Amino acid sequence: MDEVALHARLAASGVPGVGALDRSVKDPFVVVETASIVPALAWLRDDPDCRLEMLHNLTAVERPECMEVVYHVCSLAHHHALVLKVRVPRPEGGGHENWIPEVPSVAGVYPAANWHEREQWDLLGVRFAGHPDPRRILLPEEWIGHPLRKDYVYPTDHGEIPLELDAIPMYERDPSNPPKPSGRVRKAGEPLFQPPAPFSSRPLASGGKTVEPGQPAPPGAGEGTH
Amino acid sequence: MEALELYAVDDTREVYTEELKLNLGPQHPSTHGVLRVELRMDGEIITGARADIGYLHRCAEKIGENVSYLQFTPYTDRMDYLAACNNELAWSLTVEKLLGVEAPERAQWLRVIVCELNRIASHLIAFGTYGIDMGANTPFFYAFRERELVLALLERPSGQRMLYNYVRPGGVAHDIDETWLDDVLRFCDHFEKMWAEYNTLLSHNAIFIARTANIGVLPKEVAIAFGVTGPSLRASGVRWDLRRDVPYLWPYGEIEFDVPVGEGTHGTLGDCWDRYWVRMREMMESIRIIRQACRRVPSGDFMDKNLIKIYKSPIKPGPGEAYLRTENPRGELGFYVVAAGGTSPLRCRARGPSFCNLSVLETLLPGCMIADGVAIIGSLDIVLGEVDR
Repeated sequence: MDEVALHARLAASGVPGVGALDRSVKDPFVVVETASIVPALAWLRDDPDCRLEMLHNLTAVERPECMEVVYHVCSLAHHHALVLKVRVPRPEGGGHENWIPEVPSVAGVYPAANWHEREQWDLLGVRFAGHPDPRRILLPEEWIGHPLRKDYVYPTDHGEIPLELDAIPMYERDPSNPPKPSGRVRKAGEPLFQPPAPFSSRPLASGGKTVEPGQPAPPGAGEGTH
Repeated sequence: MEALELYAVDDTREVYTEELKLNLGPQHPSTHGVLRVELRMDGEIITGARADIGYLHRCAEKIGENVSYLQFTPYTDRMDYLAACNNELAWSLTVEKLLGVEAPERAQWLRVIVCELNRIASHLIAFGTYGIDMGANTPFFYAFRERELVLALLERPSGQRMLYNYVRPGGVAHDIDETWLDDVLRFCDHFEKMWAEYNTLLSHNAIFIARTANIGVLPKEVAIAFGVTGPSLRASGVRWDLRRDVPYLWPYGEIEFDVPVGEGTHGTLGDCWDRYWVRMREMMESIRIIRQACRRVPSGDFMDKNLIKIYKSPIKPGPGEAYLRTENPRGELGFYVVAAGGTSPLRCRARGPSFCNLSVLETLLPGCMIADGVAIIGSLDIVLGEVDR
């Protein structure tokens, strides 16, 4: 079945709050009301003609007007797939900073949703009501904020460790006293690569004496110099 | 502790010892990276397990929202760093789907060859490290010997050994040299003989079978419910391979190859040995695919001419979204991209196969001996760079 047939079956299933199929994007999707997502997915999983038995991906998208939770479900038996969406509108007026949208957890329908929902809570701050283990998953439990939010403020330190490079005083940043280049500066006209000096003229490690060609080298000659 | 109760074991033993909490990892060779597993032990038997991930988290999805579509390609390499080509392919195909373009024919066939070569390199790591997990050190060196040949082959067109940045939206980055295809075919002949050697060394070794058969049995229904994909799903007896069932690159539809599934040869269907053996056989199928693809590479462009012109300024797909999944060595990698019209996506989601495959660990471990736990983690073949992203 294609998305149109799957949507028609879902709309006729008696699950309330199933919207129209949006075919304006590459993967057509169905917007379902927040309260109906669990029965809709459970029905799609159990219906013998649909059998969307695998939750392939669960993700959330923060849009200017709403928070969208997207469910990609697919069937291994029938080789078809469907995209479902749930939209939680932003509250009226200001005060979006600590807005935590809430949708029901589908971990009871698909165990795969357990970790996906934990990740979306961790990174996007979507609370999944009824989740069996609602902890952060990637970040430490004491982390402040949800990094994938558009208004996320990057932290300047983690514990005692400064995270911004400028916070580390590498050297005095005084424009009248710029840092001096380290090492020897190449003179104008000097070739980039010097041919290696002949062995006999190299200074020795011991005593600094040079050895003329034809004479036996003293012990340790050539060691420690390059 | 509520989460642990979920996976409580139903056993009827009469002797119990005092419960011990044991940390496995994050720095332990058997965890294949920085994975920490919190185990509750009754003697040597695991009664509860909880995986703790995130040590390698780099927020790749946030990076994806802040760089251009083309700039994100090398970041995908660093997710599953053992199969970089396959990651790039998934990302490139997603961007192409969003733009509504298709790579030229030559690029399509080259993509098939490099991705299958990369699959062999990745499975060789799985084979070698699994031997080490089971106390067999030698196979690891055999695996690395042949992996080096694959890396040398992939280095020639891309210039890199591991993180290639070779497959890009619109085609591949560089053309191959004249003798490359011949050398790939020579490698295929060589690898077939070496593959037989691996089997005498490890696959049919009695100790290895005793350590892996009937251990960590993953039933089909559980695998599907947890979103397990790739060799781990096929080892449970599900004949499902995106290359065959949903050919995301059309050359896969024209190539003849089998999809190996687990058969419970030495024990129960879906045990550790089945997962191992599916990977071994997949390497041979990859060789079959490469051989057929090498003969069919046409001449022509390796990169879409129109896209090269567009690349001079960042590409801006119109508002829209696309989800595309590909068959990676570890399972199905999916990219979900929401474009809002700018030069970078509004949302860039990576569905890593290792992430979903690892989530089944908490149900597989309870009831096993701790040494079998190592066998189970190894048989799932995870890459923590992709779990944590």
